[in-house]
Amino acid sequence: MLAQQILNGLTLGGIYALIAVGYTMVYGIIQLINFAHGEIYMLGAFLALTALTALHLPFPVALLFGVACCALLGVAVDAVAYRPLRRAPRLSALITAIGVSIFLQNLARILWGARTKSFPDEVIPALFKATFVVGDVTVTALQVFILAVVLALMLTLRWIVLRTKMGRAMRACAQDLTCAQLMGVDVNRVVSFTFALGSALGAVAGVLIGVYYNAVYPLMGYRAGIKAFAAAVLGGIGNIPGAIAGAFILGAAEALGAAYVSSLYRDGIAYAIMILFILFKPTGIFGQRRETKV
Amino acid sequence: MRPRPRWLWTGAALFALTFPALVGFDAYVCHVAVLVLLYATLALGLNIVPGFTGLLDLGYVGFYAVGAYTAGLLSLAFGVSFWLALPLAALNGALWGVLRGAPTLRLTGDYFAIVTFGFSELVVMVAKNETWLTRGPMGLPGIPPPSALGASFRGELPFYYLILTVALLLIVVSRRIAASRVGRAWFAIREDEVAAEACGIDVARYKVTAFALSAAVGASAGAFYAHWITFISPGAFQFWESVLILCMIVLGGMGSVPGAVLGAVILVSLSEVLRSLLGQFGLPEDTRFIFFGLVMVLMMRFRPEGLLPVKATVKSER
Repeated sequence: MLAQQILNGLTLGGIYALIAVGYTMVYGIIQLINFAHGEIYMLGAFLALTALTALHLPFPVALLFGVACCALLGVAVDAVAYRPLRRAPRLSALITAIGVSIFLQNLARILWGARTKSFPDEVIPALFKATFVVGDVTVTALQVFILAVVLALMLTLRWIVLRTKMGRAMRACAQDLTCAQLMGVDVNRVVSFTFALGSALGAVAGVLIGVYYNAVYPLMGYRAGIKAFAAAVLGGIGNIPGAIAGAFILGAAEALGAAYVSSLYRDGIAYAIMILFILFKPTGIFGQRRETKV
Repeated sequence: MRPRPRWLWTGAALFALTFPALVGFDAYVCHVAVLVLLYATLALGLNIVPGFTGLLDLGYVGFYAVGAYTAGLLSLAFGVSFWLALPLAALNGALWGVLRGAPTLRLTGDYFAIVTFGFSELVVMVAKNETWLTRGPMGLPGIPPPSALGASFRGELPFYYLILTVALLLIVVSRRIAASRVGRAWFAIREDEVAAEACGIDVARYKVTAFALSAAVGASAGAFYAHWITFISPGAFQFWESVLILCMIVLGGMGSVPGAVLGAVILVSLSEVLRSLLGQFGLPEDTRFIFFGLVMVLMMRFRPEGLLPVKATVKSER
């Protein structure tokens, strides 16, 4: 029972990790809580579902379709809504982000309807349905697939951030945006790339959770988005490995809390952890203390 | 603050006083008018925190819910009359405002916004799950309407004048307080908290005052709502309500008292129009929120100071 819950929690944590890195990368560079990120995750699931059912694309192609659309959408949202406000007060950008989130959420409601959609049985690869029993733990092939995808993507992300030129530019921007600009970094391009990367990972998470719970609905991005943000806070916002660790801790806490404490307060556990961290350890588990400059 | 001509306020007040007669006491129009004034009250209450002190409150609906449930439960369980339930709800709201505010004093900007959001989500979660107290999703039906002079309120008219009194009182209080020492302290905190502290302003005290006042107004509006609609359930206090109220003060202008009222008038009317319009296109009425999202994005992009901006203050960059 305990091992089973931990496994479920890790699967959930992997999904949160994919979303959380999107929050943390954007926050690290432009200090904006991109409220619309949860909506990108939701749209990824819807777009892939549409590609599967309406365009009859095979699963991997549909996944890529959703991911590509969301990467473009993320870049577009930044260019249209956030970029003009780069020099505006922080509050303005935050309000814009909430506006974009509400806009996209209701757009999805208009386009796909408010009801929960599910992936038809025949479009999900048969491979995902296999289950193994290890001791008293039931592992589904889908869970293995999700964890493998998360691991592969995180290693790719690590490679991009640490080994590529763009990654170095991202790290420079996160350290000091103005200074990076003075050193000849094309800041707008770096921010666009960050949005594309974060949105793509978020879309993968959306498709995976859509298949995992077999449910896609316009409000799915709202709670998941906040929980992933909580994970980013937990790990110290702006810190990529921290966000991943935070996501796994949060996923496990949620699964265990729902099983042993109260399933009614499932979402409350994430909120409570987030609020307690913000109040008592706002730098997160791994974050470094930053001096407030006057 | 730039003084607006006095006749404008007097004219608006006279219009509001005679409004039900002007529309021939039409029940639907009066209902919408009560809704406008209720949201104007909420917008004025919310305005105190993001507008006057510059802290983004994303969970205002939490206090609205606290007020509604306090008043509703007091009336249903102990037969407390509305006139006593209202101040008690306000008091309970203020208490929660302080409880939420005290630990967040050090927080600024984004983190404050996130904590307020989490707070309101937790309030709704408690209302939904603690069925022994709140009956959960089934809600609390049969909250008695207020009574005065031995007769209980019937129709929209008495509610209209009650909420109009509250709104007018709040407008006067907001304007007086903004022009007072307290108001100046809030504006100083909004412009630069560190500088305000350095000038000898007791930042913590003034922030807590703002939180308590704002929360008390929200809770009073909730108490009014409970006794007006006579039914409350957790569904009425979703996050979207906070966004809608925030959208009103964004539209009218952060910190602007006439702006908050204008924002409520425009958005509640728009909301009612969209409700019927969207239905004709076969869309769920909740999709009207797409316009509120759009309003927020467009306002921040093209007119961040709002439709009726506060003139004399200088907005700082970051």
